[in-house]
Amino acid sequence: MKSLSFSARDLICGLLFIAVGLFFGIQAYGLEIGTAFRMGPGYFPLVLAAILVLLGIIVIVQSTQLEHEPMGPIAWRGLLFILPAPIFFGLTVRGLGFVPSLFFTGLLAAFASTKMRPGTALLLVGGLTLFSVIVFSYALGLPFRRFGPWLGM
Amino acid sequence: MDLLNNLALGFATAASPWNLLFCLTGVLLGTLIGVLPGIGATATIAMLLPITFQLEPVSSLIMLAGIYYGAQYGGSTTAILINMPGESSSAVTAIDGYQMARRGRAGAALAIAAIGSFFAGTVSTVLVAVFAPPLTAIALQFGSAEYFSLMIVGLVSSIALAHGSVVKALGMVVLGLLLGLVGTDIYTGTPRFNLGILELSDGLNFVALAVGVFGIAEILRNLENEHERDVVIKKVTNLWPTREDWKAMTAPILRGTVIGSALGILPGGGAILASFASYTVEKRISNTPGEFGKGAIAGVAGPESANNAGAQTSFIPMLTLGIPANPVMALMIGAMIIQGIVPGPNVATEQPALFWGIIASMWIGNLMLILLNLPLIGLWVKLLTIPYYMLFPAIIAFCSIGVYSVNSNVFDLYAVAFFGLLGYGLAKLRCEPAPLLLGFVLGPLLEEHLRRAMIMSRGDPSTFVTRPISLILLLLAAAVLVVVLLPSIRKKRDEVFVED
Amino acid sequence: MHKLAIYLAATAALAFTGSAGAQGYPERSITMVVPFAAGGPTDTVTRLVAESMSKDLGQQIIVENVGGAGGTLGASQVAKADPDGYTLLLHHIGMATSATLYRKLPYDTLNAFEYVGLVTDVPMTIVAKKDFEPTDLKGLIEYVKANADKVSLANAGIGAASHLCGMLFMSEIKTPLVTVPYKGTGPAMTDLLGGQVDLMCDQTTNTTKQIKGGTIKAYAVTSPKRLDALPDLPTVAEGGLPGMQVGIWHGIYAPKGTPAEVTQKLSASLQKALKDPNVVARFAELGTVPSSEAEATPEGLKSRLESEVTRWKPVIEAAGQYAD
Repeated sequence: MKSLSFSARDLICGLLFIAVGLFFGIQAYGLEIGTAFRMGPGYFPLVLAAILVLLGIIVIVQSTQLEHEPMGPIAWRGLLFILPAPIFFGLTVRGLGFVPSLFFTGLLAAFASTKMRPGTALLLVGGLTLFSVIVFSYALGLPFRRFGPWLGM
Repeated sequence: MDLLNNLALGFATAASPWNLLFCLTGVLLGTLIGVLPGIGATATIAMLLPITFQLEPVSSLIMLAGIYYGAQYGGSTTAILINMPGESSSAVTAIDGYQMARRGRAGAALAIAAIGSFFAGTVSTVLVAVFAPPLTAIALQFGSAEYFSLMIVGLVSSIALAHGSVVKALGMVVLGLLLGLVGTDIYTGTPRFNLGILELSDGLNFVALAVGVFGIAEILRNLENEHERDVVIKKVTNLWPTREDWKAMTAPILRGTVIGSALGILPGGGAILASFASYTVEKRISNTPGEFGKGAIAGVAGPESANNAGAQTSFIPMLTLGIPANPVMALMIGAMIIQGIVPGPNVATEQPALFWGIIASMWIGNLMLILLNLPLIGLWVKLLTIPYYMLFPAIIAFCSIGVYSVNSNVFDLYAVAFFGLLGYGLAKLRCEPAPLLLGFVLGPLLEEHLRRAMIMSRGDPSTFVTRPISLILLLLAAAVLVVVLLPSIRKKRDEVFVED
Repeated sequence: MHKLAIYLAATAALAFTGSAGAQGYPERSITMVVPFAAGGPTDTVTRLVAESMSKDLGQQIIVENVGGAGGTLGASQVAKADPDGYTLLLHHIGMATSATLYRKLPYDTLNAFEYVGLVTDVPMTIVAKKDFEPTDLKGLIEYVKANADKVSLANAGIGAASHLCGMLFMSEIKTPLVTVPYKGTGPAMTDLLGGQVDLMCDQTTNTTKQIKGGTIKAYAVTSPKRLDALPDLPTVAEGGLPGMQVGIWHGIYAPKGTPAEVTQKLSASLQKALKDPNVVARFAELGTVPSSEAEATPEGLKSRLESEVTRWKPVIEAAGQYAD
């Protein structure tokens, strides 16, 4: 048997398309499909899901033909600090209030970079928070509570 | 002559010192907010809507319109500088604009965007003034069958957005289409693909998706190898467009203006396609299509002009019919109602000062913007000299605020994180986000119009070819498909090594 | 430890005086949640009323748009809010219909809220494309019955006012039609103007200008009396469909447990706002009138909500369309 060599990138990409296609396809199959006159909620997504699976297969087939290039490094530290930042903001903006929530969100994000020193970070994020409060809360009057109920205020 | 009298009335209204001041305030505020990452025109207007309620109706609308253009200019600025589009239209600008910035040409990219937008704004203002009523009549000929066929043209063209593999680009479009269907089926009210999450019942938030797959993913990519790779842009060479730049942008601006003006008139989602369509056209007719995606001037000039022209002409359905062509227009209609003006077919005759005042203020607003933005370019470019590790925490903070402020919905923030991860993963797989975004905005429209057209024809699919406009559009789509696919088959696509 | 205890006691005492001091209410700005997007008809009504009430209460009322899921997201957010009178909800008829349209609501419609009062009842109009054949409501009913398979009835999506009104129309004339849902009133109106679709029943806020402009044809208004804004348009009762009387009523709610003094105070302020000449004038331009003083009370809203939940349950169940 001829030994196949795959481009990992395309292989993953194809598998991703197939997985997403199957996910939507299975969900859509559980919905009403309907007729061409009165299409149900599942009709159009089912067609799309099938196309996506097909495209995924094509990508995998092609993955044997193209030359590969390395995937490159992965930004683990970035993922670890950047992604939780908006989540943290969402979890605390109502409870802690806009000011502390934004401050810690900025601080969290700041540590995604190895170049950031704690002192700089505090200064930067403090200024950022001040700026945002002036612009968004005072100037634009967005309905944010500056300090939330968790702080007893 | 009537038109001249009307325009004179309009300029007299719009050029009163107070209204000029409000127009200026509007464009300034719009630019300021639009420039903050993650906040596009719709979010900006929604945020600033309440402050206009205290004003006179004309002043309030002039200011809102100013915010709208200002936010669009500002949105392009962020798309170019940090690859963070706040609207679907600036997603296209981000493709080549950001690459220009990385090559040290941020100043030129910003200037080209501003000049293109101004030119397009001027032309389309004249169009609005002269042809609004007849153009409206044409737009009303568009039923669901026509819109469906138009969307097909858009989808087929979208393949040109990508500069890597065609199959992957198609996959991204389909993925976007599917993501666009998450939420509630409008025909039956059935929830779909929402994983039982109530917040998803109105679908995914566009801003969250765009900020995630473009902006957050880009930040992550820049953090991959901080010490080895210089993420900050190369030294800025020249701020202004060179003579060659002017040559390179003239034709795309003209074409973009025409495309954008035509699509903007259609209230059922035409303006969405404007910048995508222009990009496709430019890439197709370019002598150097390989440049696209690496900082092609035409890839900034065309879409920016188309976008602004479309934004302008999308006022036509609102002013002549009282019908909102997009969420921004819906907000403006709400503002009018609060001001005691119910927009409808009679606004032009009942409130001529208001009607023509707004039209005149469109041009004045565009003029102010270019006067404001050209000198600002120096400042924006300076911003890029701030070390990246100081810049991105601010970007994350503003994104969070911006996304949250649209609906006061914390779920959208979780979505930002999710799409940031997805966008980063896709970037690693060499799948580009622009086609995904186009699919996302077109998905619901495509399905909606397909199903409605089938209901109207009582299940007869021949409706798409028996209605002349629809037939023409479908033939156009077929032609585009042939043109797009031919070279890729023939040349065996010298597999492009994308970006870095 | 000691200091902490004192601090806690002080905070508790403060909190206590805060809640007992309803007579001092309101001491800070109030948030009024609109469960729909900014700029829509409900948002408009809210902002008009909120502005007038702010003046009377001496505190700013901040309007917050929490759109999504047919208004149920905003409603559930208010249902969960602190019952201190600083978070309110302005919702329309959807408050009653979502009790049936949604089978899994995160709150109990009839028990999760205190009531402030009714705000307004926006009438609906039965309208058609400009060149639609029938000339009056009777003619329309005959025509529609004879051509049931050809007539398309537009609505702005499941749960929208036009959807409810359309269901009621079909159930009154006992003829099912082909319904064409749209995403919001804007696109539905566009297709009606362009003659792509035949019929619609929608709020005067959306139709009055078009009717006056002659771009669409109107058959009847669903209010008990003719409207000042459209004096030539007969009512549904005049046209022979008395069961079609329906209005998109709006009411202000507070979370369950809000002190009665607070809701009474808000209610009194609402009644004043509804007499504010500016509010009356703007409402009139929208083709609607403020609720009467008797209706703009907690009792008025409570009884309306209860009767409307009962009224719509069978209509929605008969149509068999749910939003979840």
